[in-house]
Amino acid sequence: MSKKIFAVIRREFITRAKTKGFIIGTLAFPIIMVLMFSAMFVFGKLFQPTTKKFVIIDQPNLVYEKFTALQSDTLSNGKLQYIFEKHSVVEDELEASLELLQNKVRNKEIDGYMLIPETILETREIIFSARNVSDFEEQQRFARSFTEIIRNYRLEQVGMSAEIIQRERELGRVWLKSKQVTDKGEVEKSGVSSYLLSYILTYVMLLMIMIYGQMTMRSVIEEKSQRISETIVSSIKPLELMLGKIIGICGLGLTQLGIFGGFMYLVSTYAVPILQRFGIDSPDVFEIFGQLNFSASMFGFMLTFFILGFVFFAGLFAALGAMVNSEDEGQQLQMPLIFLLMIGYFMMISIAKNPDTARALWFSLIPFWTPLIMFARIAASDPILPSGTWLSIGTMTVSTVVLIAFIAKIYRVGILMYGKKASFKEVLRWLRYK
Amino acid sequence: MNVLKVDKIRKQFGDHVAVDEVSFSIDEGMIFGLIGPNGAGKTTSIRMIMNIIAPDSGNVSVMGNTDPRKHTDLIGYLPEERGLYRRMKIKDLLRFMTDLKQVSKVESAKAVDYWLERVELSEWKNKKVEELSKGMQQKIQFIGTILHKPKLLILDEPFGGLDPVNQILIKDILLDLKKQGTTIIFSTHVMESAEKLCEDILLINKSKQVLYGKLAEIKKSFGHQHLIIEYSGKDTFLDSKEIAHFDNYGNHVEIQLTKNGDAQKILKEAVTMADIQRFELKEPSLQEIFIETVGESAGEAGNE
Repeated sequence: MSKKIFAVIRREFITRAKTKGFIIGTLAFPIIMVLMFSAMFVFGKLFQPTTKKFVIIDQPNLVYEKFTALQSDTLSNGKLQYIFEKHSVVEDELEASLELLQNKVRNKEIDGYMLIPETILETREIIFSARNVSDFEEQQRFARSFTEIIRNYRLEQVGMSAEIIQRERELGRVWLKSKQVTDKGEVEKSGVSSYLLSYILTYVMLLMIMIYGQMTMRSVIEEKSQRISETIVSSIKPLELMLGKIIGICGLGLTQLGIFGGFMYLVSTYAVPILQRFGIDSPDVFEIFGQLNFSASMFGFMLTFFILGFVFFAGLFAALGAMVNSEDEGQQLQMPLIFLLMIGYFMMISIAKNPDTARALWFSLIPFWTPLIMFARIAASDPILPSGTWLSIGTMTVSTVVLIAFIAKIYRVGILMYGKKASFKEVLRWLRYK
Repeated sequence: MNVLKVDKIRKQFGDHVAVDEVSFSIDEGMIFGLIGPNGAGKTTSIRMIMNIIAPDSGNVSVMGNTDPRKHTDLIGYLPEERGLYRRMKIKDLLRFMTDLKQVSKVESAKAVDYWLERVELSEWKNKKVEELSKGMQQKIQFIGTILHKPKLLILDEPFGGLDPVNQILIKDILLDLKKQGTTIIFSTHVMESAEKLCEDILLINKSKQVLYGKLAEIKKSFGHQHLIIEYSGKDTFLDSKEIAHFDNYGNHVEIQLTKNGDAQKILKEAVTMADIQRFELKEPSLQEIFIETVGESAGEAGNE
């Protein structure tokens, strides 16, 4: 290796790091995340429901008061979310009343009406008629309220105190508090948070390997299609040029990962207090955020598997680049590689739930999938290392070195072959050239 | 002293022998022409000199050194297939070229400024390559090969794509470099420019070397075998068996005599049937030597 390789590394890194695309892309990631959260929040306020008016026909005269008492929520502007009106009808006027109400709905005087039939205790069916029946949450909420009222009524009818039953039911409620047994003791952690973190991080890994792998291919194709290769390899060995390229672009990826890691750290540390300041108060979300434990060791593994996975795939992408003459040809040939990565990702989705099975271990030792599956297993089991962690780093390193040695032979011939796309038979012949 | 000594280099790709035992040496400060038809093996020979591909046998020494890794910084190479990174700024690109030749930052900056000035592109220093015209890019490629003050300069078709004004600019720079002791290998299939610049030539055909030596001596050895006649009238004198080959333009004919062909016999025959305005016996041009040596297939192409 000569010092010239640094010239290549520097060129690959700096010319890309200085582009607007990279700077925007790198900063955009955290900004987009923040914007998405803010947008959800803003849109939530923007499209808040206005006060709705419903008419209730309570034929058995059983539920109206209790029901309306349960719907006392107010909107953010202080107004009531729902206004109800009781409508009494005598039996033979029902049809006419319903027609009248339907007209009122059509004329937007009211949003809808509910008909509680005389036979409610037997039929257990309430008609909900409205202009808009797509608010699933609203209907569930009304159904829950009606259920509670009818249930309590029936309990009282058979001589039981609804209040006592309610109280006892609540007192009898039990939770599972999940803790992970680790070397340092037990850590409070929910299944959701382990899975979620593993899922997010592996997705980022997939994207990074794909994007930076393709970048390597484009870099090789540029030198080939613009006829730059020969000038460069008259000064530096093809292997050095290829490694310089891979290292330079890897550095670019690591820069971006570093920024991502910093952002993840901030999220796992400060997300809850920030959300609270914005008036978001959802214990479920907080619990997940609170347990998104993006540890330093996990970040270390993320960088390690990115480097291994990137170099491995960058080698394959570089070989494709050396075989073709234009970006279009490269786009077509890369599809199998992309599929390979995607398959690893789909497997990971299932494996992250049960990271420590024997089968998961075997699949995570296959070099194409090690960076995704092994890393997903590590993230899902954190802080315990799943079986095969160090072994997979070892096998991946060896496979990468062997692969690069092969690719170097294809690369040095391919970059000086102009004209037609090389067939795989030809490429095999290149491997035998002295 | 030999700046470059090439000893029986040979390269085979599969069944095809691209270069077959080619040997030559070049003295310091000389312009050497490496000529031959397309596909003869010029580029493969140069690639072996540049250590881009390894010879199957034979070796190359530069300034007496046979370690190919030590050669590359002493040589400047302008390949026939050449291009630039389109999205790089000129100054960054040239800096990168000198980095690859391990030139210090200070030296590099000085050389870049000097040569940009010399080819009249100083104001383009901070522009991107893609903003330059094709001709400007050619000049940038050219100075990229000489920034590190190479002892040996290898130029493969250096004038391709240049307008006449820039051709003269580059030619003047080459002559200046030669004066300063730079040795230049000039590879081309355009014989006119090789003839004007080169002192020694090596002609490669079908992967073998077929002619090698001082251009003046080669011409002498071909003798006065070339005849130009300007005439009006019948041209049946061209049927003479003294003639190996001719190019007839109607009233101007260029004639290649056979090995022992007698020009006087042709003249005698010609005056009987045509008016002769001009009758000139002259040294063969490199073009003619090329056509004669390379043979029928290339000769036909040359006549068109």
